[in-house]
Amino acid sequence: MNVTLAVKQYISKMIENSGPGMKVLLMDKETTSIVSVVYTQSEILQKEVYLFERIDSQSRDNMKHLKAICFLRPTKENVENLIQELRRPKYSVYFIYFSNVISKSEIKALAEADEQEVVAEVQEFYGDFIAVNPHLFSLNLSGVARGRSWEPTLLPRTTQGLTSVLLALKKCPMIRYQLSSDMAKRLGESVKQIITKEYELFDFRKTEVPPLLLIMDRSDDAITPLLNQWTYQAMVHELLGLNNNRIDLSRVPGISKELKEVVLSAENDEFYANNLYLNFGEIGTNIKNLMEDFQKKKPKEQQKLESISDMKAFVDNYPQFKKMSGTVSKHVTVVGELSRLVSERHLMEVSEVEQELACQNDHSSASQNVRRLLQNPRVSELDAVRLVMLYALRYERHSSSILPGLMEELNRKGVSERHRRMVTSMVEYGGKRVRGSDLINPQDAVAITKQFFKGLKGVENVYTQHAPLLQETLDQLIKGRLKDSQFPYLGPSSLRDRPQDIIVFVIGGATYEEALAVYNLNRTMPGVRIVLGGTTIHNTKSFLEEVTLTAGAGQAERVQRAGGHPNRR
Amino acid sequence: MASSYPPPFEGTGEVKEGFLCPLCLKDLQSFYQLQEHYEEEHSGDDRHVRGQLKSLVQKAKKAKDKLLKRDGEDKPETGSYESFYYGGVDPYMWEPQELGATRNHMDFFKKHRAARIDHYVIEVNKLIIRLEKVRTLAQTTADNHKLFKSVVAWVSDSDVPFCPDCGNKFNLRNRRHHCRLCGSIMCRKCMEFVPLPLAYKLTSGTREARSVTGSQSQSQSPPTGGGGNVSGMGSRRGSISSLSSVTSMLEEKDDERIRCCLHCMDTLMKRQQKLEEKDHVPDIVKLYERLRLCMDKVDERAPEYIRMAESLNAGETTYNLDTAGGLRMEVQKYYELIDALSKKILTLGMKEEPQPHQKTLQLQRMVRYTATLFVQEKLLGLMSLPTKDKYEDLKEKRKQEQEMRLTQERLVMAQKRRQDSEKNRPAASTNGEAPQAPRAPRMTKAGGWLPSSDTLHTCGELEDPLLQQIDNIQSFLRQAKAAQRHDEVAMLEENLRQLQDEYDQQQTSLAIALSQRLAQEESLQQDELQRLEDREREHRAQSQAPGSQATYTWQGSLNLTDIGSLHGEEEGEEEVTPKAESSPLSMRAFPALTDQDEESPPRLRRLRGDVTPPGGEGQNSSSLNPFEEEDSTPVEDPSNPFFEEIQKEHKEVANGKKEYNPFEQEEGGEEEQGQAEGATGNPFEVKEENNEGNPFKEASGCTPPGASTNPFEGEDEEAMPDVDVIEEELLLQQIDNIRAYIFDAKLNGRLDEVELLSENLRELQRTLQEQKSKTH
Repeated sequence: MNVTLAVKQYISKMIENSGPGMKVLLMDKETTSIVSVVYTQSEILQKEVYLFERIDSQSRDNMKHLKAICFLRPTKENVENLIQELRRPKYSVYFIYFSNVISKSEIKALAEADEQEVVAEVQEFYGDFIAVNPHLFSLNLSGVARGRSWEPTLLPRTTQGLTSVLLALKKCPMIRYQLSSDMAKRLGESVKQIITKEYELFDFRKTEVPPLLLIMDRSDDAITPLLNQWTYQAMVHELLGLNNNRIDLSRVPGISKELKEVVLSAENDEFYANNLYLNFGEIGTNIKNLMEDFQKKKPKEQQKLESISDMKAFVDNYPQFKKMSGTVSKHVTVVGELSRLVSERHLMEVSEVEQELACQNDHSSASQNVRRLLQNPRVSELDAVRLVMLYALRYERHSSSILPGLMEELNRKGVSERHRRMVTSMVEYGGKRVRGSDLINPQDAVAITKQFFKGLKGVENVYTQHAPLLQETLDQLIKGRLKDSQFPYLGPSSLRDRPQDIIVFVIGGATYEEALAVYNLNRTMPGVRIVLGGTTIHNTKSFLEEVTLTAGAGQAERVQRAGGHPNRR
Repeated sequence: MASSYPPPFEGTGEVKEGFLCPLCLKDLQSFYQLQEHYEEEHSGDDRHVRGQLKSLVQKAKKAKDKLLKRDGEDKPETGSYESFYYGGVDPYMWEPQELGATRNHMDFFKKHRAARIDHYVIEVNKLIIRLEKVRTLAQTTADNHKLFKSVVAWVSDSDVPFCPDCGNKFNLRNRRHHCRLCGSIMCRKCMEFVPLPLAYKLTSGTREARSVTGSQSQSQSPPTGGGGNVSGMGSRRGSISSLSSVTSMLEEKDDERIRCCLHCMDTLMKRQQKLEEKDHVPDIVKLYERLRLCMDKVDERAPEYIRMAESLNAGETTYNLDTAGGLRMEVQKYYELIDALSKKILTLGMKEEPQPHQKTLQLQRMVRYTATLFVQEKLLGLMSLPTKDKYEDLKEKRKQEQEMRLTQERLVMAQKRRQDSEKNRPAASTNGEAPQAPRAPRMTKAGGWLPSSDTLHTCGELEDPLLQQIDNIQSFLRQAKAAQRHDEVAMLEENLRQLQDEYDQQQTSLAIALSQRLAQEESLQQDELQRLEDREREHRAQSQAPGSQATYTWQGSLNLTDIGSLHGEEEGEEEVTPKAESSPLSMRAFPALTDQDEESPPRLRRLRGDVTPPGGEGQNSSSLNPFEEEDSTPVEDPSNPFFEEIQKEHKEVANGKKEYNPFEQEEGGEEEQGQAEGATGNPFEVKEENNEGNPFKEASGCTPPGASTNPFEGEDEEAMPDVDVIEEELLLQQIDNIRAYIFDAKLNGRLDEVELLSENLRELQRTLQEQKSKTH
């Protein structure tokens, strides 16, 4: 059930299959991300892969002494590029791996192009997803929805991604989907169709309790991606943006060249692995310890090494020092930047009100706080908008809603028209009318607080009160209390026993907060393994873009329908 | 042969633990395997078998939960993650999984390719055969269309009004040209020429093949190929050629080349490329292959060396110091070779005028980078060997430890035998040696037991099958080493270690059992002892013991000395009992010590201190000494210097410690300094700012080639185990290490580090020079 390992195994198998000798890895844009997330360059170099090339790159030279390992998505362009490549081969041998099911006709076309007999292998290795963490994958697809339905090209792509996860993990699951979402149903059917069509592929050893695929829709919980985060991974994504486990730090003032882009991967970075799910306070302490540790090992700049023992100690410490200095400088910079942003944007105050909006049920206090923060000139545009959005979602139908007043406030603050319109889009996207589950209800606060107490061992932390809806849903699912009326099974059969292996997929994107919730569920529930996936992994910014795309397209759709061109979109 | 040894020591009486199936006690490696196994094997029980089993299953489920909880405890070493928490499993701890689903399309691919290839190969071969014919024609005769037409039928002019490649209309100015290889028509612009040398090269393969297969087909094919067609088309073609004969004479100097169309040219070029590649191995490949060979050798040799070095550093005698030294040099040589080769790869083609393709350079850089990573990773893990002197010390230390342990065991044995002999032959004790007894405590323990342990050791070896096994394996090891079978050596060593451990354990447990029984018997024998005492006093006058007494008898006499020396029997009893308890304790401490291969002197001393009291007591009570002291004063003599040596060693250790202390203080001070620096600003930024330029270029350019002459040769020459030499060797090692770091730092563009390191290097080299001038 470890998605990272699954991809890693696929790739190392590919390299292994090609035997000894210098190798080049030929990839497309998407498979480059897939590989780079799970392997570091030095790891791959050790396997004699020295070059990484894009199949569509024109600057490749003839290098007949290299073996080529092609890891490609089975797209039309890739096949076409590959045919051209085989007609005039640049490398001596080609080992071709497609990340998904490829049609017979395309293989035939390739075979006919291979006049020089350079192809040694054509296989399907189903690593067609970004394995962010062992229990978290993404497809890096944004704007999957057009109004309430799928963007036509992305449904097949999502289906491919999701089925490749199933194949990589060797799971032939039962499918449950969120009834309120038509997209969830469509995706479920589409996956089911592939399973039926490729029944030979999905013929795995039967387990007593079949695995379960749960398909959900982001619009059911629009609150989670709007909240500021305080655990390391989630916070980095929210404030700096994690893209394939990489952070772009180029905007950080006074950043050194080397740290413009850093990789945060739990696979290779022990500090990150240990602190991934810790909150900001704890990370502060840990980073201090790390620094102190590092200072001890730091070689003496000015000191002359006079005795042999000095020398020896220095030499002994040097490798450790070197290894550490990379990690230390990276995390010190990242955490430093995080804390700069926190104080600059008053995130503590903002987050407190966000949490109040999300978890409490006190309208007057909440509205006062929101208004107060909107008047604070140092609260950023993004934070102001998200507060109003949260308010709008939370008190959508409250009798004394001050939403118009808040909108006016945003206007006065100078928030752009685009952002202001997003508030309406958000309500349209995730408002009560759309939701299938009760995201917010009177008991919710109590339930969440209870859970929160459980989760934090009784230590209250105002900034992490919120627990995503997903946690509750999964908890019910594991306990067998998830209602069939909300999450029906696709097909006639249903699961009698307590589920063991669960794959949750969120259309419209998951969040790192949910990843943390799933991580904790994995650790707390005996005998249950849960993997979370999403069309992408959102922070507030990307979520707003997603909503805009969805809503904008939705409006366009409506306009077009009114105009009598239903087929154009 | 070797593999048959381990089983007897494993598994017997072993307490089963781990993920046992609660029903069948099968050991499964992990919780999930257990769960799977449980579901597969025992799920039937749950369903079909009657209710009584159900409670069992319930219990099993509970056990399963417990097992799950243990999951966290079982993996404390993974500590960084809190791997267990209320009963679930951290996703990072999920058990390994098999490779995901795959599907192979190669068969389908091959089927379609084969069809295509057949077609392609026929095409190519046809072209080559024609080319050969056309070539000979072109060489022998001038441009004779008729002859060419005999090779391949030319397409008739009237059928082709436009050039099939560019679409231009043919007319008087834009004339038709025929491909000599396929007979098709193209215009002048779309025409290609095969130079004769190329044609010769391309067809050389077929010529050889033909000459072998015989000339029959050659002679037959021309008429069959073209005979019929020539008559059919000759006239028409002839008219045109006569029209343009003037221009054609000017234009067509085909003597040196063969006219052909784009498509045939393309096919021929592909073929030529293939031919070239078949024979041509680029330099980088040759170098790279050697590089990999070296890396493989290192991978093979380095673990072996590390094993040797570890063993030698622990003072074991399993390996020879010289062999290890040789191996170290070998490995070091490989590292240098890797470095040199990768450097060569890096600079391949750099000087050539058209610079190699950017990607080629990138490849070279990557290979170099990988090689340096490899060297860094492995070289730094290469531990140093003890110098000869040091090794002797280590050996001595280990020997002492072992002997001490042995004595311990012997003592207990001796006591046991004493008890036995006392019971059986009370009369033998008449020749008591009581007068000698009081002198015993003065004996140094080192002197006291040396010879006796030796004799006992030899007979023990003969007795104990385990020791025989150990002996056997050692000889196997020698043979295997001689035969260069490294894997077998490793296996045998493993066996040997197991055997030795087992032997140690056996001895220890034996000793424990014995001493316990001893303690019981001791009290029972008190009465008997009392009675004996009287008789003993009577015989005391005659009690000058003959030196040549058999072991048996002196063992008997031990009792007497014991009793004689102790005026009160009860006192003696009290003394014996604690000793019996304490000796097993110290025995237990010993295997632990040797297992750890730890040679930290303070601890050793402490242990030795622990051991001495029971040892002394043993000597006291058993009075082995009287004989040795009487007969063999020389035995004591060698023991004394030995003891001194130990003391000297301790002194040395103390000195070493003193040397260390100031350094540690320095470090402490440095720490403060570092912190102060940290307070003033981010130290990394300063460091990283210096990053500039191509690190690789620098690396290759800057490393002083003169300095990289093998430093180990020097080491070899000065094999004298001298204090200075020790330092020299250390220095050389350090220099080596620092060089590696410098390289690495350069690679990463940390210039200030490079500076610091090179300063160190200079410092070291200077020190080395001084050392050398001192020694010579």
